[in-house]
Amino acid sequence: MDPFLTSRVVSDLLGGFTNGVIYGLFALSLVLVWRSTGVLNFAQGAMPMFATYLGMVVFSGHLSYWPCVAISVVAGFAIGGVTERVLVRPLYGKPEINPIVVMVGFLIVLEAVAAAIWSTVPRGVQSPFSSVFFQAGGKPIALSRFSVYEIVAALIVMAGVAALFRFTKIGLQLRAAALAPEVSRLLGVRVGRMLTLGWILSTGVGTVTTILVASNFFTGLTPQVMDGIFAFGFIAAAVGGLNSPVGAIVSGVVIGIVLQFVGDFLNGNDIILVALLILVVSLMVRPNGVFTKSTSRRV
Amino acid sequence: MRTRDGLVRGAVTIALAALAVLASLLAAPSPRDSLAWAITGAVAVVSASIMTSPRVRRAHPATRRASMTVLCVDATVVATYFFSAPTNFDLAIGAAMSIVLLGLSFLTGASGQISLGNGAFMGVGAFTMAIWANHHATTPIVVTLLIALFSGALVGVLLGLPATRLRGPYLAGMTLAFAVAFGAIVSSFNSWTGGDAGLQLPRAATPPGWLAHFFSPSTPLLVANTMWLADLSIVVTGVAFFFMANLFASRTGRAMRLVRDNEVAAELVGISLARTRVIAFIVSSAYAALGGALWTLVNNSVSPSTYSFALSITILSLIVIGGIGTIPGALIGGIIYAYSASVISWITAQTGLNAQGNLASQLNGIIFGGLLILTMIFAPMGIAGAARHLWSRRRR
Repeated sequence: MDPFLTSRVVSDLLGGFTNGVIYGLFALSLVLVWRSTGVLNFAQGAMPMFATYLGMVVFSGHLSYWPCVAISVVAGFAIGGVTERVLVRPLYGKPEINPIVVMVGFLIVLEAVAAAIWSTVPRGVQSPFSSVFFQAGGKPIALSRFSVYEIVAALIVMAGVAALFRFTKIGLQLRAAALAPEVSRLLGVRVGRMLTLGWILSTGVGTVTTILVASNFFTGLTPQVMDGIFAFGFIAAAVGGLNSPVGAIVSGVVIGIVLQFVGDFLNGNDIILVALLILVVSLMVRPNGVFTKSTSRRV
Repeated sequence: MRTRDGLVRGAVTIALAALAVLASLLAAPSPRDSLAWAITGAVAVVSASIMTSPRVRRAHPATRRASMTVLCVDATVVATYFFSAPTNFDLAIGAAMSIVLLGLSFLTGASGQISLGNGAFMGVGAFTMAIWANHHATTPIVVTLLIALFSGALVGVLLGLPATRLRGPYLAGMTLAFAVAFGAIVSSFNSWTGGDAGLQLPRAATPPGWLAHFFSPSTPLLVANTMWLADLSIVVTGVAFFFMANLFASRTGRAMRLVRDNEVAAELVGISLARTRVIAFIVSSAYAALGGALWTLVNNSVSPSTYSFALSITILSLIVIGGIGTIPGALIGGIIYAYSASVISWITAQTGLNAQGNLASQLNGIIFGGLLILTMIFAPMGIAGAARHLWSRRRR
């Protein structure tokens, strides 16, 4: 049993699963925004990054880890809501590149302001979990208390989002507002509020992702910390289908595992190359995503 | 067929006129030389009169565009004679950038899509230029530039084929992934690209022999070389703008604008949406690669860190501020790029900021990002669009 757990393949599986859960969680936050407002939010990494700085760096001297996490998530909610109201709302009904360009501008501004205030030097965020690998028979398993924490936290957030959409009245309204805004407005759903709520939720999910990434002993928090995660998260969301939360999570996990094998058996530089290849091939084969039923569309 | 003849004739005209101007200026021991001034003046007067003649205006739009380009190239080449070497260097860099911006402007203006990876496509052209020059040092510059252009088009096909078939932001997301990945791609082909260190050109680009001996012996080598590079960039930019202006006005260009404005109508009149979008993307990548190749030539070297994700974002900001979907917007963006660094360091000096501090080093991002948001919300067509709007209001 022991040599199995510490074997190269199992190590890659475990490490890849940990990464993949992060990609999947971030892809979920992209899907939440896309479904509610039809915007691919290019500042989806930068907004949570800013919230994480606000919580984890500003208050780290005064408070312990968990209160800082709470402050970050609340800051994320606030940033998401305000952004939707101020920057995104004027752009509904405009050509589709307008929100893309505005959110790219927001990404530049947030990263530059964060770097101006906190510099580009990585900040360590101390999590209460050790990132030393568990041992089995004197050999390390590719799993630590910290990666268990990452996986559990991500799964809890995913389950929470799923429960919110499936079992609550607000969740029903959110789905209705995304699917048929006109009809739901007639039925008394406050569609505008639902759009804002969609952004609030998604930035919250993004903030949890960023905290998990930044708490990792080996990365730390930098203004650009989410650029790479954004690329992988977008690839996961596009492969799974930008409309499908389940697809985003599953393809995030699968991509995480595949890329871990690529990095281990080929070369670290090939990871992003293979990720791009996966994206190109999957868009050729299933343009609307692996997990969405194909729909024809005429306007 | 007739338009194609017009294109070739126009391109040849520009190249010849520019070379005539160049030769006349380089031959002149001083700007007061009467022969040089006579030739430049004649070229300017002839092209201006062709441009404004009512018959040409009405019946030969391609000729009109050609003479307009000749006039602009002529004037700028004359100006390089008076500029200092650093100004000429900035001018060459800015001219190459305006080619890249023109490609992106065309992509959006023609198909309503956007690319966040044009910095990486510049990198493709830049590395192709350097790799080719290192293996075949004797190839003429123009041929190498064309090879770089085709390499960009090729990568554009690979990425554009899947993404452009879809609606929505897939192309933007995919080009972003390409831009983020570019550094790793360069590293994984490090036997060709030199890895993180990049490549040097085997020898500096110097004026060809027949031109070089026109220079008066007292001209310092650096001044002569920089001027030659600036003039070369300007001529290439002129040709690129001329072709693009014709493409915008051609049947293909009109089809593309219809795709952008009304997809259903476009399909009804028999235009293939996917094909049109892919072509627009390929043109945009090829132009980006051409700009990158010129950068390699001007810098005499190429480094992967230049072609980071940040450059792609800068390119997007510049064209949005200049006026996305317009031709003058690309020129405005190129000028902004050439001189923004000096303006920002001037602002830093005026406000007494610590030049090595965090804020000063991020000022570029804050200003460009802020302008990007403001432009898109208040004047989506940028400076060029706003100017056109004011102009048409005054004429009414």
